[in-house]
Amino acid sequence: MTNSMPLLEARRVFKGFFGNPVLKGVDIALEPGRVHALLGENGAGKSTLINLLSGALQPDEGDVVVDGHPVSRFSPAAAREAGIAVVQQELSLAAELSIAENIGLGASPRRFGLIDYGKLATSVAEVCERVGLTEPLDMPVGDLPLGRRQMVEIAKALYRKPRVLILDEPTSSLSAHEAGILADLIRKLRDEGIALLYISHRLNEVQALCSHVTILKDGVVTADQPLAGVDNEGLVRLMVGRDAGDLFPPRLEGATGAELINLKKFSAGLARDIDFHASAGEIVGIGGLVGQGQEDFLLGLYGAIPASAETSEISGDRGPFKSVETANAAGLAYIPADRKHEGLVLPHSIASNLLLPSLGRLTKHGLRDRAAERDLVADLARRLTIRGDVDRAVQALSGGNQQKVALAKWLPLEPSVLLLNDPTRGVDIETKREIYLMLQSFAREGKLVILLSSDTPELVHLCDRVAVFREGRVVATLAQSEISEEAIVGAAMGVSTKGAAA
Amino acid sequence: MNAVKAALRNPPLLTFVLVALVWLVAGLTLRGFGAYGHLRYLLELSAVIGIVAAGQTLVILMGGIDLSVGAVITVTAILLPLISPDFDPTGGIGIVLTLAIASGIGFINGAGAAYLKVPPIIMTLAMATFLQGMLVIVAGGSAVSVTNATVIWLGQARPFGIPAGVLLWIAVSIVMLLIIHRMPAGARFLALGANPLAARLSGVSVTRNTLLLFTLSGFFAGLAGILILGMNRQGYVGIGDPYLLTSIAAVVLGGTSILGGRGTYAGTIPGAILLVTTTALITVVNASPGWRSIMFGALILGLLLISGREARR
Repeated sequence: MTNSMPLLEARRVFKGFFGNPVLKGVDIALEPGRVHALLGENGAGKSTLINLLSGALQPDEGDVVVDGHPVSRFSPAAAREAGIAVVQQELSLAAELSIAENIGLGASPRRFGLIDYGKLATSVAEVCERVGLTEPLDMPVGDLPLGRRQMVEIAKALYRKPRVLILDEPTSSLSAHEAGILADLIRKLRDEGIALLYISHRLNEVQALCSHVTILKDGVVTADQPLAGVDNEGLVRLMVGRDAGDLFPPRLEGATGAELINLKKFSAGLARDIDFHASAGEIVGIGGLVGQGQEDFLLGLYGAIPASAETSEISGDRGPFKSVETANAAGLAYIPADRKHEGLVLPHSIASNLLLPSLGRLTKHGLRDRAAERDLVADLARRLTIRGDVDRAVQALSGGNQQKVALAKWLPLEPSVLLLNDPTRGVDIETKREIYLMLQSFAREGKLVILLSSDTPELVHLCDRVAVFREGRVVATLAQSEISEEAIVGAAMGVSTKGAAA
Repeated sequence: MNAVKAALRNPPLLTFVLVALVWLVAGLTLRGFGAYGHLRYLLELSAVIGIVAAGQTLVILMGGIDLSVGAVITVTAILLPLISPDFDPTGGIGIVLTLAIASGIGFINGAGAAYLKVPPIIMTLAMATFLQGMLVIVAGGSAVSVTNATVIWLGQARPFGIPAGVLLWIAVSIVMLLIIHRMPAGARFLALGANPLAARLSGVSVTRNTLLLFTLSGFFAGLAGILILGMNRQGYVGIGDPYLLTSIAAVVLGGTSILGGRGTYAGTIPGAILLVTTTALITVVNASPGWRSIMFGALILGLLLISGREARR
């Protein structure tokens, strides 16, 4: 099977934007019945390569080859015609339309020029079953949690019966359970003879699913080989071009300080009756499947959504905060998961984003103190190694650097409690390490770090304690000695009774 | 070449250049256009629009819009003569009271938008309709003449040969540029306009800033109303109507994004002058009022295509 002719190839493709070369002579060949991994740090050129393979962009030099024939003008329409489907990292669904309508969008069965909803429903139901979508098909996509929307996106790609399926970080917003369904599905598609390209930052998934790997580094292929016999460290070395050592820094043993958070029966949004306490110097993990009330718990603590509690003490303050400003004043800071929509003002400059929370503090006679602002921005950029002109729009930065800006802007306020919502989602390995080290140094300085993460190894390796959410409640609080991937995933899925709620 | 490109990317500058060009060409071709008295008159009219558009600029920067400015102008122009007490020869009390009422109307607009979550376009439109009804009841159809000394001075005096209204506009411009570019509040308005959710999660109070913005918009509309009253010497129902659309057009002509989050009052200033100049040129053309309106609308569209269009996002 593996020696058959590739369905889709890129041969020595070059692509540059505004004079910056992004791809410098890249080859890749997708063969039927094989799951091909594409790895590389953010900015290595993965997205550009996908765009070339799916016809969204034209190569400056080199060819895209379908079934052995070079295609001169490859377009998205031609790609669809050739049976190439892409599941994008950024979701491309219409929130107001139903699941069925989204899946059928642009390819709906017609009758007399009108959409044949009956036929659509039957054909869509079939695809949904394959990906494990059990929600009613007429439900608006906007009502679904992020992870389920991702499954709709995958179903949409499958509906078009592709011969080549490109998956760009498909699991970044999926729960462990959904990721499992997707893995089974990928194996099934592989056995049916579909050529798959799988892009992920999660190396364990890649190891489990893929048989061949192409690694990009700065627009050049550094490896194109079977995966067998290469371990995770080997992959990381090929991506960063040097020995990266362990992804996670060694755990720190520090004394915990005064209790900063103590909640009894705290409720906010989906989160119900949470008993929770945490002290200075701790890193407390929040785990569970995606969308079980973890995010609402953080937002409730932060005063961003209404919250109630039987008794509560947060940073020496009684009662849940009524607004974000009071939470900020009490020393809380929140770093959202969706940095593009919640964390940053994308069209504004790096400098204005960094200054936003501290605007009121840097004033002289009521006017902004430009010199002090400049110093602060320069200092933050240096501490977080954000290179280049700080007057550029923040949307020009890579995902990892955007996340650094979203984090750095809080440092001048010297928060005592940091609430982080999936801070490493879609972030390259180098930046991940920097973020991990930063979280540890916060804890060492006597701050409390609350880390919500969908990446279970992160919780295992960084946290002193992990609270696992399921259906809005804390179903388990794991002490450090009890933390393991199995224990977290088990509690999240309700298969374990170990570690009763504390 | 690079300087031209830079100018094209800088809407305030581009609008200034456009004004200069129009003045130059009109001054050379039309007799009387370039006379000092005529240019001074154009600036006087621009001052009114510029002051109304000050509040409008702030509201639009935050992604809102204030459709009640015309009604607020009418309210101040009619109310001021009625509430200025006779025992105050300077007229200062009447002005302070009127400005307080105008700001109060703005505050109510802000409260509706912030607390009741009524979209600003609906809230301010409802407010405008409400105020117009009130005026008909209070003032009836008759015009009221102003005797307030300060207001008349503001509308008629020319210290050092410069109209007092233009001096007032210069003061307003300085305050506006300080608010937007040198005060924390300005940066917050822009952040709220570009991404309200991210701004809120960064500790920027949506409620407080919305109240502040609409109050300021009411205040500036009130200020403009007083100036118009001084220039006209009479207040009547409908006096403020022409200023609603012109205030929005001046803001957009100056390159401020109608979607919020990007722009500056430095663009609104030439925007207002350009608008007034265009109107004056159309008046010169011998055409019926209907045709003049059509030409004015078409010209605004044309100008927007040149200068104030949305930058690619």
